[in-house]
Amino acid sequence: MSLLELEAVNAYYGEAHTLFDVSLHVEPHEVVALLGRNGAGKTTTLKTIMGVIAPRRGTIRFDGAPIHGLPPYKIARRGLQLVPDERRIIGGLTVEENLVLATLSAAAPWSLARIYALFPRLGERQRNRGRDLSGGEQQMLAIARALVREPRLILLDEPFEGLAPLIVRDLLGVCRRLADDGHTIVIVEQNVQAALSLAQRCYVLNNGHMVFEGTPDSLRRDPEFMRRHLGV
Amino acid sequence: MGLTIIFGALGVVNFAHGSFYALGAYAGFVAYDKTHSFLAAMAAGALALLVTGIVIERGLIRLYYNRPKEDQILVTFGVAIILVEALRTGFGGLAQALPVPSWGAGAVYLGLTYYPTYRVEVLGIVAATLVVLYLVLYRTRLGLIVRAGIEDQLMVNMLGINVTRTFLTVFGLGAMAAGFAGVINGPIVTVTPDMGADVLVQSFVVIVIGGVGSFWGALVGGLIAGEILSLTAMIKPAYSQVMLFAAMALVLIFRPQGLFGVQGRQ
Amino acid sequence: MTVPRAAGAARFLPEFGVAVGLVAMPYALPHLGGTLDLAQRILDWGLFGLGFDILFGFTGLLAFGQAAFFGTGGFTAAYFLTAPFTANTLLALAAGTAVAAALGMVIGLLSLRRAGIYFAMLTLAFGEMAYFLEISPLATWTGGENGIAGVPAPHLAFGPFAFDVTTPQGMYWLIAVLFFIGFWLAHRIVRSPVGTVLRAIRDNEGRARAVGHDVAKYKLMAFVVAAAYGGLAGGLLGLLQGYMPPDAFYLDTSGQLVVQTVIGGAGTLIGPLVGAAVWLYLYTALQQVAGIGALWKLLLGVIFVVLVTVLPRGIAGGVVMLWRAIRRDRRAAAPGPVAAIAAIAEPVVERVRAPLDGPVVLRAEGLSKHYDGVIAVDDVSFELVEGEVRAVIGPNGAGKSTFFNMLAGVLDATAGEVWFRGHRLAGLDAARVCQLGIAKSFQINQLFLGLSVHDNVLIAALARRYGKFHPAMLRDVRRVAGLDALVAETLAAVQLGDRAAMPASALAYGEKRRLEIGLALATRPQVLLLDEPMAGMSPSERADTMRLVKRIAEGISIVIVEHDMDVVFELADRITVLYNGRKIAEDTPEAIQADPQVRAAYLGSPVDHEPARA
Repeated sequence: MSLLELEAVNAYYGEAHTLFDVSLHVEPHEVVALLGRNGAGKTTTLKTIMGVIAPRRGTIRFDGAPIHGLPPYKIARRGLQLVPDERRIIGGLTVEENLVLATLSAAAPWSLARIYALFPRLGERQRNRGRDLSGGEQQMLAIARALVREPRLILLDEPFEGLAPLIVRDLLGVCRRLADDGHTIVIVEQNVQAALSLAQRCYVLNNGHMVFEGTPDSLRRDPEFMRRHLGV
Repeated sequence: MGLTIIFGALGVVNFAHGSFYALGAYAGFVAYDKTHSFLAAMAAGALALLVTGIVIERGLIRLYYNRPKEDQILVTFGVAIILVEALRTGFGGLAQALPVPSWGAGAVYLGLTYYPTYRVEVLGIVAATLVVLYLVLYRTRLGLIVRAGIEDQLMVNMLGINVTRTFLTVFGLGAMAAGFAGVINGPIVTVTPDMGADVLVQSFVVIVIGGVGSFWGALVGGLIAGEILSLTAMIKPAYSQVMLFAAMALVLIFRPQGLFGVQGRQ
Repeated sequence: MTVPRAAGAARFLPEFGVAVGLVAMPYALPHLGGTLDLAQRILDWGLFGLGFDILFGFTGLLAFGQAAFFGTGGFTAAYFLTAPFTANTLLALAAGTAVAAALGMVIGLLSLRRAGIYFAMLTLAFGEMAYFLEISPLATWTGGENGIAGVPAPHLAFGPFAFDVTTPQGMYWLIAVLFFIGFWLAHRIVRSPVGTVLRAIRDNEGRARAVGHDVAKYKLMAFVVAAAYGGLAGGLLGLLQGYMPPDAFYLDTSGQLVVQTVIGGAGTLIGPLVGAAVWLYLYTALQQVAGIGALWKLLLGVIFVVLVTVLPRGIAGGVVMLWRAIRRDRRAAAPGPVAAIAAIAEPVVERVRAPLDGPVVLRAEGLSKHYDGVIAVDDVSFELVEGEVRAVIGPNGAGKSTFFNMLAGVLDATAGEVWFRGHRLAGLDAARVCQLGIAKSFQINQLFLGLSVHDNVLIAALARRYGKFHPAMLRDVRRVAGLDALVAETLAAVQLGDRAAMPASALAYGEKRRLEIGLALATRPQVLLLDEPMAGMSPSERADTMRLVKRIAEGISIVIVEHDMDVVFELADRITVLYNGRKIAEDTPEAIQADPQVRAAYLGSPVDHEPARA
């Protein structure tokens, strides 16, 4: 039984039909990449999984139990955690408060010490307000915030967007460490190379349709396909 | 004056608050009548409003979350009318007297002149409440959720917290504060069904001057408002209320978001 | 709430109905248990409510301080008559109305700086301020808590004619005539260009601004109109009582107006009259029943809350909706011409690439946008040639939307300038930018969902025809020259001509997207900015929209932000590629496709890494 399973999910953004019969599955301890150009529906897929958008048709199962239609807070309590593409750090709270906020509803949260060990920079900036952090630090905080809840599955939405290459490299290292530790991750990224370097399997979305499922190698073997669905 | 600060700090202003204030005063009056204990009156006022607030929110207000703002304003206005009229029906329109408690009797010499003990105590109670409020907002989990929720409700939701339930609690707390304020102020002003309206307007002026959603803004706004009222009362009492509104107009012209105004994400 | 488009004599049905009602009232009254005094008061409140309904029902601005104008107008008129400055009652009433309107201008300017509940509370606060002014500082003129007594019976003088109103019947007819005139005027305002814009503001204020209307001025106008009506009604109150009371300034008075309007039905013009009838009738009737006399207001409060929750349109509004539903059903039963959407496959239109040798119409120089240390757009320059179709593409986070919004004049640049035919766009608001000739269509539909398709386009066309602000309150909007032609042309261009009468909310999604573009088109822009026009469309809708864009590309210059590469390649003359806020390429579609830098931008450059885990 897969950890996460989407079957023929159709989602709408207002009246716009954005996902057409999307199916995918994620096994425990896997890193799965969800690729596609922007507008393809990747973020919509993650939002639908997290309950921010309710699918009109289709099912979503987590650990075998249906979660489609549940409000986000219930889905979060089951062990899913989304790191949104705008990061959405609470600017008015300090780093520490942002983390504590995340622990409030978690059954077995990490200790702050453990988080700061993994992200020393956050430890240095404990008392700084969220809005005073740099982009890279905010992204780190967003990931830390998800981790602190000891999630069973992490959804990363464009974690490398808008960051300088050096910072991307740092973050990539963090993600790799998480994967090595056995976390299950779904990563949505436009930076195809970075995503493929992390993932064991990948899916490609185009205009709301799933057009590819396979390994990074099999994807790389077809540059024409990559150009058509991912490039220009 | 200090009471309006409380309203402002919670950032929750609706028309019904004025009537909650009156309801609190009446609940306190009834309790006092029965028990002759001012403490009991205070507790009664606060409790009655907590219950009322929750009932109204669950039963009525929650239907309005997705309706346009104007409808929300209208329904709280309607609720205010109903509550005030219910009070009038139950207790009659004449003023009731909520006597000053025994520990508040007499006067205290404060340097310049004698000052009624009770009013000084009220100041103390308000200050204490403000401190409590501050602590709740900045040192407790509930306060953390409220501060985060005001800024980004969806994200807090995604972190596993049922935000709507929290907002219900805040609404209840706000109602409770209003009720409590009503009891406290009972001995100073007369207890009538209409007592809520003035407070409502003044608290709004405080919010406009101080800025929305800011604890310090409400505090400073309240202080400024209080000062304007007392200063002008000394010079020309007839004009004091007017001056308050004039100050509000000035703030609106030059700094529409208030002195400490903060924007939040819906 | 579309104004029913009745033709010919039927247009005057409302006025006729009101006239009949007014004439019949005195005869029906005794049978209903009412007095002439009651009728006079109901009409006075109805008059007060006409202006308020324009403000609240039609423009959507909920104000709680109308008592300020009611009292001001009343006390001014009463003072004029008792001072005495004049014996001519109509003159005194006019003075009261004028002063109230002036006050409305002042309070409006201050209060309209905020919206929603803050606006409501502000008007309430100013209402209270007026009350305090009346009680104390101005007491020598207003009589303070005593009000002004001894307001003389109306003396109406028209040139050589003069007569005094000495009987209750006479007073009733005076008020009835004034109400009728007020109603006729209000009805005209509602059907005028101003009224149409007000309804658009209520429906979607942002879009009304984006198509070129100066929303702030229109709102102020509605506010002043409401104040004027309030002033007139206040003056009449003093006359019918012979006494001008300070409670005209009470918060209760403002509240009563709101409750009556909501109960009767906002947005119907006679709603306030119906509501006043309910309120005053309940008040007088219940007083006579022993035991529950004091409960009338409680009962009213409950009715009010129930209506707001269950029947937001009020009594009159409910009746109107029922009426329209019946008419719609009857029309649906009779088969009409079948709407033929182009299901026929049109031949693929090959677009001839524009020559690109014309003058530059839109130019950006060194455009940058910084947010708190994040550089969203970095020194991008851009030139759009007349007649060109330019696509702006780039991966997520490239700065496309930011750049696009700066071009549209919606967002201020941190550095750099945008020039449109020689005009600098910096600091101009959305309405002004649109009036200059740049129109934008939105990624998420911003339509006037409560209006018909025809009226949607009409709003945009009005801005084109009349400019930012045009106080045309008295003419009928359908009589404005050239407007219908503009609307018809636009509807034809987006192929929604057969949908003109439908409410916009009933359109299919693809049709709504077309209407979205239509709104921008109707302003007859020189530059059209399309923000992801294909968003959320099915393949057939996509094809339709592409044909549409190709058609309208004749004669307009277009900038499209899009993700769909097929669309981009087929439509664009040139493509600008943004990446991390900078422009990395700008060339013909073929060249862009072959550009290795662009490819790297989309696919990501190879990252220094260990081999991926198997």
